[in-house]
Amino acid sequence: MAHPSQLGFQDAASPVMEELLHFHDHALMIVFLISTLVLYIIVAMVTTKLTNKNILDSQEIEIIWTILPAIILILIALPSLRILYLMDEVNNPHLTVKAIGHQWYWSYEYTDYEELGFDSYMVPTQDLTPGQFRLLETDNRMVVPVESPVRVLVSAEDVLHSWAVPALGVKMDAVPGRLNQTAFLASRPGVFYGQCSEICGANHSFMPIVVEAVPLKHFEDWSSRMLEDA
Amino acid sequence: MLALVRKQLRNHPALIPLFIFIGGGATMSMVYLARLGLRNPDVCWDRKNNPEPWNKMGPTDQYKFYTVNMDYSKLKKEGPDF
Repeated sequence: MAHPSQLGFQDAASPVMEELLHFHDHALMIVFLISTLVLYIIVAMVTTKLTNKNILDSQEIEIIWTILPAIILILIALPSLRILYLMDEVNNPHLTVKAIGHQWYWSYEYTDYEELGFDSYMVPTQDLTPGQFRLLETDNRMVVPVESPVRVLVSAEDVLHSWAVPALGVKMDAVPGRLNQTAFLASRPGVFYGQCSEICGANHSFMPIVVEAVPLKHFEDWSSRMLEDA
Repeated sequence: MLALVRKQLRNHPALIPLFIFIGGGATMSMVYLARLGLRNPDVCWDRKNNPEPWNKMGPTDQYKFYTVNMDYSKLKKEGPDF
């Protein structure tokens, strides 16, 4: 989850998020280099005693500062397009989960084999136990097996919502009447938090998402337990 | 018009890379748009002879421009035949 005064992304928990992290580092480094160069040139221009009252032109420098930015843009565009197409790839999911947005909670349905469905409400602040995170914990978590491609079908029952988990690099709008598909692979076990990312009314900030990635045996035990309790 | 541009270019050769990159970028965008219009199965041009091309996609068709990790020739059809 995010921590106070955090500047960068959360640690990646899926291969797609790792790629996004690396691309962000690459693009940000280019941005820092260009900004430093421009800042240096501005300071140099402003503090120099040299003056020239004639109009200056030079073909060589014009060629350089046309070709170099074009090359830099290509160096940014190629990895960007690669990640764009990578994120769209169908990856033969082992499990399909439906995440339905309501005002103001999420409900998850695991209907591949049995009919398992449950709601996921935020834990109110006064009911938190020590160690739990304020405004991020839910009573029921979306449990998925680790290292398994998971398909998430996102929709909504009433107004627009958005299902987002930053650590997994996933965000998909929940549109009423529409089924959107996204997929992820949790590469390590853990608990990953997210929040509703489309304004949906009074409690938009209070309908978080918690994804728990566990080994397959634990996932099977959990789903049997949830089916019995229902 | 083109002769005038060519004459002015001789005095300012630094503009040649500009023409190359801008022209190349515009060409690539138009070619991609044309590819989307003509080859994308979501687009229907002929309502009488080919009304719903999105129903005719096989499991091994690659209609995306670029695949990083997927080999479409290895996929199998998952759903039932209509």
